[in-house]
Formats: sequence, structure tokens, C-alpha cells
Amino acid sequence: MTDAKKQQGNKLSEAEAIERAKQGDAEAFEALYNLHKRRVYSLCLRMTANTAAAEDLTQEAFLQLFRKIGTFRGESAFSTWLHRMSVNVVLMQLRKKGLPVVSLEETMETEEDAPRKELGADDSRLAGSVDRMQLQRSIAVLPPGYRMIFLLHDVEGYEHNEIAEMVGCSIGNSKSQLHKARMKLREILKTSRAEKATKP
Amino acid sequence: MTCQEFERVLPELGDGRTMEQEAHLRSCSACSDLLADLNAISQQARLLQGSEEPSPWVWNSIEVALQQEGLIRQPYLAHSQPPAPPPLLGWKLRWLVPAAAMFLVAFGVLMFQRGTGQSHVAEQQTAAVGVETAGLQPMAGDDLQLLKTVGERMPSMRAEYEANLESVNAYIRDAEQSAHSDPNDEVAQQYLRNAYQQKAMVYEMALDRSLP
Repeated sequence: MTDAKKQQGNKLSEAEAIERAKQGDAEAFEALYNLHKRRVYSLCLRMTANTAAAEDLTQEAFLQLFRKIGTFRGESAFSTWLHRMSVNVVLMQLRKKGLPVVSLEETMETEEDAPRKELGADDSRLAGSVDRMQLQRSIAVLPPGYRMIFLLHDVEGYEHNEIAEMVGCSIGNSKSQLHKARMKLREILKTSRAEKATKP
Repeated sequence: MTCQEFERVLPELGDGRTMEQEAHLRSCSACSDLLADLNAISQQARLLQGSEEPSPWVWNSIEVALQQEGLIRQPYLAHSQPPAPPPLLGWKLRWLVPAAAMFLVAFGVLMFQRGTGQSHVAEQQTAAVGVETAGLQPMAGDDLQLLKTVGERMPSMRAEYEANLESVNAYIRDAEQSAHSDPNDEVAQQYLRNAYQQKAMVYEMALDRSLP
């Protein structure tokens, strides 16, 4: 059961919590936080690969949300509003730190960053053997530009047109970065599996 | 269609594929394996959404900021504050705050030492950890006791703490499984330490709020 459903089953619904939060009700703020904390924090953690930074960004995202909650009119889903705000908070933070949000030009990609073309290689399939922990670790070592697009598309479920708008790149660039990210992850996962297999 | 041609269209490939692409996939195991792997990565990635739990301190910081900014207009829990419990209950449970925190963090440290220690020493430590692990089982009883206390003092928060404990216990199980499958994996050991620290924080917060 998701956090949201559990929460709704037990006490305040999201709509009630929003209305009560607008009146300054502390429990309503906490209920809204509890409904969405995992998704926001997970996004921040994966984008920054740093627990302390992720906690700061989660705090910042929720504070921005709560400061503006009086203006929420319910035209869009609350979760969409919150998650878009979280992404913006993270992107702004990454830009402030000068970290690349997306590769500027595909031609600038280094040989090291580019996924190796493995078509025709005699490698066995990964499918069925990708576990969560392995995938988490592999995502953490992706180049930042790839990681951002991969997280937004494959983990968070945004479409390429939304990503292009949020990140400030073309739809084609978003598709291309996503493909390269998946290829790079495949390579990292295979290397990790091969290393494990050769360990005594 | 060649493999190179297939690779060029791969970034654009959705669910709908042309007959030519389908034919290539049927005849080329390398390309069909590649596609299966990329799909598996993508599907597994979706399960990562919302899979991490922030430390309880994050909410504490938000709450303090909301109060300072005047966004919270009602005193916290003012309308749900239950009557004070008998004084003995508070004293009976107060020891749990440092005890639970110390126990959980110590367990994490022991797990770390087991992962990084040298062979002979590691064997001894592993035995010690085994004893500690066995000793950890009664924590389930402590969890129930904690929930009982929270339920008596802050009924509206009980469900939240129950969800937090379930979540952190699942995190611990997950991390333990990874740490046991590869005791030399430092990342897994770190996950495990984080998991125990989170549980210690849940205890500390619950008891800090519920004690008189």
C-alpha cells in the first residue's frame, strides 16, 4: 500500500489536509509531508547522490510548497504541483553548484562517458537479474546529465516534452540522453555482475 | 535491417515497432537481448520511485521553520493532547531513548566492523554480531511497546509511527539481506548503518514527543 493510501485510510484525506493547511493547521502540514515525503526525498537523493544534500533539498521543496499552499486552487493535482516544484528546487540547486543538468552538446561527450556499443557482443542477458540495490548503485555513478534524464523519465515518469521544458533542452536531446543513460547502466550492471562472478 | 540501423532507431523506439524492426529482432539475438535489457532496466527503475525514507529530522526542521515563519497558526497537537499519564510510565520508558539509540547504533558499528575486519578478528566479531543479532529479535516487542505508548499519549500519531516503524524495519531487512549476501560490500554496510540510525531516530522522536 502506498504512503498516500495508508494515510488517507487512517486520517485526513489529501483534500482535507490542503484546506486545513491553508488555515495553518500543524497536523495538516505534517499529513501532507507524510503523504509525499518518500517520493520527494527519493528524487532528491538520487539526483544529488548525497544524503545531507537530499535532506536539505527535501526541506526546501516542502517549505516552498507550504509557503505557496494558499495559492493552490486545485486545478492541477497537488502531487503534480509538489513534484514539479521539487524537481525545480533540485535543478536550481544543481545549477547553482555549476553541475551539468544535461550534457550541453552530444559532441562534447567524452569517450569515458559514452556507453560502449555492445551490439553483437557475446554477453548474456541482464533481464531478470537487475535488482534494486544494484540499480541504485549504478544510477549513482552515472554522469550527472544522463542521471537527471533517466531519473525524470524512467523513475519519475515524466514525458520527454515535460523533461525538455523543465531541463531546458530539446525533446530529441532528452530521448538521446535517456537512451545513452540506459546503455551506460547496462554496461555498469554487466561489469558489476562479471566482477562478482570472478570473486572467489 | 542491420544491427547498426537498428541501433540508430533504438532511442526513438516505443511500443510500436515496424515490421522490419520486428523481423530484425526475431533474427538477431544480440539486438533482442539488448532491447530486453533496456526494458528491464526501465521497468526496475520505476520501482525506485519513493523507495527512500527521509530522516525524521527533516520534518522537525520543516516544522520549526513553519513555526518561525508563522505559517503554523495552532500550537502543535494542542487539540489532540491526551491527559498526562501516570508519572511512573514516563520514568519507566525514559531509559528507552538512549538505550534504543545506543543499541541500534552499536549494532550498526558491529556490522561495519564485521564487513571491514580482518579474517580472524572478523570471525570473532561475526560470532559477537550473531549473538547481538539474536538479541535484536525482542526489538519487535519494543516496537509494540513504543506504539502502545504513542497511542496512549498521541492517538493521532500512532498510525504514522506504525508506518514509520514498518518502513524502517523493511529497510533494515533489505539492507541486512544485501550485507549478508556480500559482507565485504561497504555500500551495503553503510545502508545497514543508516537503517539502524533511522530506527534509533524514530524511537528518539517518538519518546521525546510522548514523554511528559
